[in-house]
Amino acid sequence: MNLNFVLQSLLNGLLIGGVYSLIAIGLTLIFGVMKVINFAHGAVMMLGMYCTYWLFVFLKVNPYLSILLVIPILFIIGAAFQNFLINPIIKAPEHNQLFLTLGVSLFLQNTAVFLWSPDYRVLKTHYANITYYIGDISISLSHLLAFGLAVLFAAILYMILTRTDLGRAIRAASEEPQGAMLMGINIKRIYWISFGIGSACAGVSGAAITTFFPIYPYVGDIFVLTAYVVVVLGGLGSVLGAFVGGLIIGVADSIGAMFLPGAMKSILSFIIFILILLFKPTGLFGR
Amino acid sequence: MSNIRILIRKGGLMSKVNNKAEKGITRRDFLKTTGLAGAVAAAGSIGFPSVLRGAPAPEILIGHIHPLSGFLAFDGQEMKKAVMFGVKQINDAGGIKSLGGAQLKLLDGDSEGKPEKAISEVERLHRAGVVAITGCYQSAVAIVATQTCEKLQVPFVVGVASAEDITKRGFKYTFRVQPPSSVFADQGLKYITQIAQAAGEKVKTIAFLHENTQFGTTLADFTVEYAPKYGLEVPVRVPYSTRAADFSTEVGKIKAANADLIFDSGYFGDGVRVLRAMRSMRVKAKAIVGIANGAFSHPKFIEELGELTENVMDSNYQVNLVSPFAKETLANFKAAFNLDMSPSMVYGYQPVSVIADAIERAKSTDKEAIREALTKTDFSRHILPQGPIQFGQDGQNKNATTLLMQILNKKIEVVWPKEYATAKVVFPHP
Repeated sequence: MNLNFVLQSLLNGLLIGGVYSLIAIGLTLIFGVMKVINFAHGAVMMLGMYCTYWLFVFLKVNPYLSILLVIPILFIIGAAFQNFLINPIIKAPEHNQLFLTLGVSLFLQNTAVFLWSPDYRVLKTHYANITYYIGDISISLSHLLAFGLAVLFAAILYMILTRTDLGRAIRAASEEPQGAMLMGINIKRIYWISFGIGSACAGVSGAAITTFFPIYPYVGDIFVLTAYVVVVLGGLGSVLGAFVGGLIIGVADSIGAMFLPGAMKSILSFIIFILILLFKPTGLFGR
Repeated sequence: MSNIRILIRKGGLMSKVNNKAEKGITRRDFLKTTGLAGAVAAAGSIGFPSVLRGAPAPEILIGHIHPLSGFLAFDGQEMKKAVMFGVKQINDAGGIKSLGGAQLKLLDGDSEGKPEKAISEVERLHRAGVVAITGCYQSAVAIVATQTCEKLQVPFVVGVASAEDITKRGFKYTFRVQPPSSVFADQGLKYITQIAQAAGEKVKTIAFLHENTQFGTTLADFTVEYAPKYGLEVPVRVPYSTRAADFSTEVGKIKAANADLIFDSGYFGDGVRVLRAMRSMRVKAKAIVGIANGAFSHPKFIEELGELTENVMDSNYQVNLVSPFAKETLANFKAAFNLDMSPSMVYGYQPVSVIADAIERAKSTDKEAIREALTKTDFSRHILPQGPIQFGQDGQNKNATTLLMQILNKKIEVVWPKEYATAKVVFPHP
């Protein structure tokens, strides 16, 4: 096993880890505020990918530029999802909410199969084939851009949450909903805004990987299971935790793949997952 | 469908639901009721008109099981088109002549890519009255589907599914058109050795990248087993899961192996990502050879990846590109679906005509008679690069073989063996 190979693997793990991070941030935000585990998150991400794809195919919108459109579209979808489906059962037992989001996920996936067929679609841009080399180590431009976008959006979100009134209101609603309500915060509004932001995060991550990942109705499943692990690792509801957790899982996966065959490669990240649950169930950054 | 609705309205299903409301509906009740509804529907569509109109062409039901939804839905939907096309071809040519021009009617079975789902789908098709079934695209699904058919005594003609075991269990009702995985591996090794010899190149080592279900694992096992026969060895094999988000470390292992040849077995979606990673990481070898690869000789693969695919090879089943009947069939398929018929689709299509031929000779829709006729199959009006389709004792198409394809100037060409070749092989890859 040579050094180049190890460095290459770690680098690729880190880059894909950035994508996990952004997906997980959306998930953790929704959980943190509403205590709803959103099984439809992967399907929402898939919608983001199709948005970018169709914008590119029909309007020739640059896939990275299309993110500016994907954000509002997915925000509206997420907000509507919260308003019309989650809100009515926000007080219902957790398993009801779980089944609801699972139902929505299946609905979205099958609608996608119906509307766009289960075909694999590849967004053909010249970016996809641009690769930089440092010595023998290759860095694919599209992976690098996906990572950069994930970090950028995670940072923007972090700023919003810590520096703005809206962010403070979101955090207040997440920590102490009744107290927040007494202080005059419109909790219902915060709920749909958070759900919208969370969905937009999934959409952005989807859009950011369209240049190197095939698009098909079930694509979200591949990423979202990892995102759950990341969320628990980072601490449920912790945005910073989700970000760091994503990078850790990305790197752990590639270390796993170096030493373990095939499907076993996730073993390392799941061992971390179990250990965290056993010894620090609140996660790395959870309280 | 209208029959089912009537039944519901009359209270057949609803009264049952109401009676059981307190206890809930059990699965058995549900099956009983829907089964009954199905039987009524079948009687309505087949029996009734023949009484009314004398003797119009009756319908013969055949079933197919493919992953029509789920993670392999893309592949499954394509397979469905191939089977549909096979049925249409038979019907357009006058149906089953020995049964008064009876038309074939196709019933869908959706495995969702899951073996356990295949069992209930086979049972459902059986209840609906199919005389034969074809499928499955996945070996794991074919193993259980054929087992269920054996129990129900329904002939099953496997189109695509490569696992050796399928025809190694002494089953009477299982037949398979495509070559088993051992043939893919063996022919792949044989062809590449012959090509290297002809080019005066020395090849010794193979690094094998494969997806980790039975499909990829078996192909790699056989390659490791047969390689010494051709003076080759497989020092490195790297399995991966198709559900992983990133394959770059796996590809990195292959690169680090620095072998003369890279072999690869996988499905379409992962194949696209694997090749892109290989090109981006500048993986070099004298040849990249797919063994029964789901992507490497698929027309859409070139469409998606363009020049990255240049020179990629694949030992795979293929249509006979030098046969006029095959060319005509491909053209008609393209006209019908605006889609190129991939080799998988070719083998998805072929069992229908094999089944139709058996029904024709059996002169009956009795499943036992059809099975009997299948064992005596000697079918030449096919589109495969082989002699007549004949099934051995074990139900395997004895003459099935693979060809070696190569992507040259963005076209899939057959490059070996020479009697089926459409272009000159490029080896070693630049």
